[in-house]
Amino acid sequence: MPEATAKTNADYWMADLSQAVDCTVMARGVEVVYEMGSEKIHALRGVDAQIFTGEYISIMGPSGSGKTTFFNVVGGLMKPTAGSVYIDEIDIAQLDAGELAWLRCRKIGYIFQSYNIVKVMTALENVMLPMLFAGVPQDEAQYRAVEILTRVGLGERVLHTPKELSGGQQQRVAIARAFANRPAIILADEPTANLDMRTGEEIIALMKEMNREQGVTVICSTHDHKMLDISDRIMWMEDGLVKKLARRDEVDIQIDEFEEEHRE
Amino acid sequence: MSRNLWEIKRLRLKPELIWSMALSSLRLRMGRTLLTLLTVSACCAFLLFLLTAPISDDPADRQMWGLMITLSLLVSVAGVLNTMLMSVTQRYREIGTIKCLGALDSFVLLSVMLESALLGLTGALLGIVGGLILSFGMGLLDAGAGVFAAAYWSGLGWKILVSAFVGLALTTLGAAFPAAVAARMPPVEAMRGEK
Ligand SMILES: Nc1ncnc2c1ncn2[C@@H]1O[C@H](COP(=O)(O)OP(=O)(O)O)[C@@H](O)[C@H]1O
Ligand SMILES: [Mg+2]
Repeated sequence: MPEATAKTNADYWMADLSQAVDCTVMARGVEVVYEMGSEKIHALRGVDAQIFTGEYISIMGPSGSGKTTFFNVVGGLMKPTAGSVYIDEIDIAQLDAGELAWLRCRKIGYIFQSYNIVKVMTALENVMLPMLFAGVPQDEAQYRAVEILTRVGLGERVLHTPKELSGGQQQRVAIARAFANRPAIILADEPTANLDMRTGEEIIALMKEMNREQGVTVICSTHDHKMLDISDRIMWMEDGLVKKLARRDEVDIQIDEFEEEHRE
Repeated sequence: MSRNLWEIKRLRLKPELIWSMALSSLRLRMGRTLLTLLTVSACCAFLLFLLTAPISDDPADRQMWGLMITLSLLVSVAGVLNTMLMSVTQRYREIGTIKCLGALDSFVLLSVMLESALLGLTGALLGIVGGLILSFGMGLLDAGAGVFAAAYWSGLGWKILVSAFVGLALTTLGAAFPAAVAARMPPVEAMRGEK
């Protein structure tokens, strides 16, 4: 099976390279091994992927397939055991602490399954934080934060704390915060997993709109097949490997096939 | 094909942000702030009281007194350290999150240290006032009018300094160690740390 996967990836690479599109993220042979006492868990077993500037790519795969780990590595939140991640051709392993902080602050926006809004702060303060870290003056940060919160539909609730917001609203704050510094990449790890279906769809639609409006690259993992329609490409992960990587228009049938193949 | 390579820049520490982070953290976690203040000031008051209390000349009494001092001081030191440890471990997740937003390790460490230093200072001041009141009351009972004599309060200055310093140092260092650990963790690990 690993051989087949390698071939699939290589095929797509060839196709990709011949198109010569700008590539924002490139993963080469990324492996992650978690050590739990004496036990070793191979969460990623050599992931290769190329993600293009401005595309919306969805990552699918059963739970435990390594999606979160892939995110954390791509986002510079943890170091891979082997392999490299390039963001705009820069190997992020080469960055020092200040550069890594800059990358996280200015170039990447993170959206997590569990929102991760700073509990003691208001929506406004949460959205201002990355701007303040980036050196935006207080007044301007506040003005822009209100603007973005209004954009995500929370204009009336800027002074609310997470306690006073629903899950969907908290995730909107997280989206506003992720977009605050106009990043080049949005990394969203199952952003809708804790939300009901309708709210989830709204959140995904919002991310898609931001992707269109700002041309930001969105990498979003999800369990939900309905989310696939708005994706430009879809990447399937399984058992720490990229099983398939295909454009949306190529996969109509393949989704069913994949489903058939992996029905428990 | 436009191939716009980023110019990677470096984020620098913003001192004014450390202040506002420390202050807002104190304000927003008022419950925790007051609890810590209480613990620190009790520790300082107690220490100052012990240092200024009249000691009897009987060697057996002195020994007993020494033992009591040591034990109860240990208890209050452990109380302060525990409070600070909890106050930092409770926000591992938050620390991981703000690191994702661009917080430098040094920012995390310095803002937590500044916050606890402010707490320690305020707690020490309150504690000294409390300790003095306590000692004065005790002295009044013990020596009556003698408590107004200057000799009764000999060395008061350094006793105040010692107790204030102990309170401040315990609070700041008690927070600095767990904060340094949290600041150095990769963001994901910190975010996993606590629910
Ligand atoms: N911190 C960790 N320590 C040990 N094992 C982990 C840790 N995080 C994830 N894993 C394991 O790595 C594998 C991939 O996990 P994960 O990346 O979370 O997958 P997904 O997000 O697709 O559910 C799983 O087998 C999981 O149990
Ligand atoms: Mg996951």
